Amino acid sequence: MLRKTLARMTLGTAALAFSLGAWASSPSTIKIGTLYAGSGNFAQASTRQYDGLKFWAKQINAEGGLFVKAYGKRIPVQLVAYNDQSSTTLAASLYNRLITQDQVNILVADYGSVLTSVAIPLALEHHIVLFDETGTSGKFFKPEDKNRYIVLTGLPTSSQWPKVLANFLHTVGSKRIAILYAANDWSGSQAETLKTSLKALGANVVFYESVPNSTSSYSTILHRIAASKPEVVAEFGYSNNDIAFLQNYESSGLYFPMVFVPNPALHYEVVRKAVGDQAIRHVFSYVAPPLIRYNKEVNYGPTLDAFEAAYAKSGGKNVDLSTVAGYNTGLIVQKTLATSATFTQEAMRNAVDTFSGKIFTLDGLFQVNHEGAQTGESLPVGQVLPTPHGLQLLPVFPLKSAVAKYVYPTPGK
Amino acid sequence: MSLLEYAVLAGIFYGLYFALVGVGLNLIFGVMRIINLAHGDFLILGAYGAFYVFHLFGWNPLWAIPIELVVFFGLSLPLYYLLVPRLQKSGDPEMLSFILFFGLSQVIEALAVFAFGNDQRSIPASVFGGSPVTIAGQVYPASWVVSAAVGMAGITLIYLYLYHTRIGRATRAIMTERSEAVVTGISVHRVSAVAFGIGIATAALAGIFSPFMIGAIAPSLGMGITVTSFTIIVIGSLGNPLGTVLGGLLYGEALMLMQTFLTSWAEMFPYALLILVLLVKPTGLLGKAVRSA
Repeated sequence: MLRKTLARMTLGTAALAFSLGAWASSPSTIKIGTLYAGSGNFAQASTRQYDGLKFWAKQINAEGGLFVKAYGKRIPVQLVAYNDQSSTTLAASLYNRLITQDQVNILVADYGSVLTSVAIPLALEHHIVLFDETGTSGKFFKPEDKNRYIVLTGLPTSSQWPKVLANFLHTVGSKRIAILYAANDWSGSQAETLKTSLKALGANVVFYESVPNSTSSYSTILHRIAASKPEVVAEFGYSNNDIAFLQNYESSGLYFPMVFVPNPALHYEVVRKAVGDQAIRHVFSYVAPPLIRYNKEVNYGPTLDAFEAAYAKSGGKNVDLSTVAGYNTGLIVQKTLATSATFTQEAMRNAVDTFSGKIFTLDGLFQVNHEGAQTGESLPVGQVLPTPHGLQLLPVFPLKSAVAKYVYPTPGK
Repeated sequence: MSLLEYAVLAGIFYGLYFALVGVGLNLIFGVMRIINLAHGDFLILGAYGAFYVFHLFGWNPLWAIPIELVVFFGLSLPLYYLLVPRLQKSGDPEMLSFILFFGLSQVIEALAVFAFGNDQRSIPASVFGGSPVTIAGQVYPASWVVSAAVGMAGITLIYLYLYHTRIGRATRAIMTERSEAVVTGISVHRVSAVAFGIGIATAALAGIFSPFMIGAIAPSLGMGITVTSFTIIVIGSLGNPLGTVLGGLLYGEALMLMQTFLTSWAEMFPYALLILVLLVKPTGLLGKAVRSA
């Protein structure tokens, strides 16, 4: 009897000690370190992405914090964020500061591949998982690099984006395609994929050239493209490139049966307001959330409708893909910490694998491969079409995602 | 051949516009020997002015011309008296102006972010009519023709000001030899303030057309435009407004011809041209003319 009592007391004391130890070693806050571009080329998208992440942190803290399975309790979130001014040099220094001085628990990248690229070697060196929000360059996820310290939380790698477009062009029977792209990794990888996919499908790429990122005048180039008599012109660039391209096309007097640009998918209202309804009507693009709306499918976090309503109520406005991407990253971090049995970076990365392919957020199906590249989401082809609510970018292909019938060839100007 | 003809004419339109972009910077340097690194930021402010004239009031951006000329000229006068006389008392006004106007550029950019946000903005090209313009059998955007015409008009007015008005002759006297101008009784600060105002106002004027010529506008574009302007005026000749016309035309032609025949190198070539000009003629193509004017 005495022996049993002693054994129970020993076990009880051990359990108490263990739980007290765990309590004592749990951090008072979960530090999430990130960067945003308050100025410069990426400011427009980066600030919106950061707004999305901030909104998620605010919501989580209002609920008492983030549930951390490793400690069995909710812990408040503390965002540590610095302005990198769209500079990769400054970003590299600030990422290093987040890791070494601020000792953040979670590292979240800034917007896009350019500002994410400098975080990758630092995350790898310090063995901290980089939650990559929108850095979609295929170079980040090469199997030969064996980098387990990166997770692309939303959007497929950019080299995957045009595959649906290539199938669409094949379906509508376009044979002569002109591809123009800005000389950056994001645009170049899309152009390369489209060219390769089209050639495999038997189409003829009649024009394939790059322009500098800073190109703001396309009139002369448009005349060169016209000389190659294409049925489709696909221009890949940043939003400043797309805006100048569409403006110059509209005022050029030229006509192509189809024009495709990528950025309406990312910042539809910004592009539409900049170029005007006349220039964007019937233009083709990708379609991404919030233009493609995930509600019924969502099994983790709020639906897109609920998110937009809550965001608007909190004073937020202009929800676009960047805002959704920032919020979605918060959801993936939330799920990671709710799943990871221990509070180590390796355990967190392994935890991501356990829920990969199983959760569907407002951004789409979250599914990553061994290298952390997003494979769950795909980008349908859309077209800017007139609706009772004005011009909207609507999914038109593949047919299972389509909510409208495409217009091709587009009406002449 | 058709593509070459198109590129050559496009280069003239583009060049005339970029001459207008650079002429204000050159006038300020010629008269005051200060380098206004905030030049591009004033241009961007002018662009935002046109943007709001169009989007808030629904007016054609051409209405922004008289408004902005008055507003920017008016605002630049106190700015001149606040900054420039102090700069010129220093031992090395050129170098100090570099630093001071760089700071001003950063302040304007930051304030512009607060005021207008980071979104890229533009004005639909259709505001100048939906149809392009046919010239010599080639079809050009109407906005290019309007921008070039305004550019040419602006430069002509500055030429008339410099060569056919009393204050313009005083301005040229200061450009030639400031100390002698002082001795002859010219009110250097009054004349310089007017030149400073004209320089800033022409930057704003060029800004009105930048959505059509430079593409979408954003607060961060100012410094890049200043660099382009600087390239143009160095090619033509620092301190010589007429050299700016030549520099602008060379820049426009180089850019358009390269876009036609070597697209990937288009943005680099004007700067290669700058290096070439500096190696062959360090004072710029019209450098000598300004000193003997």
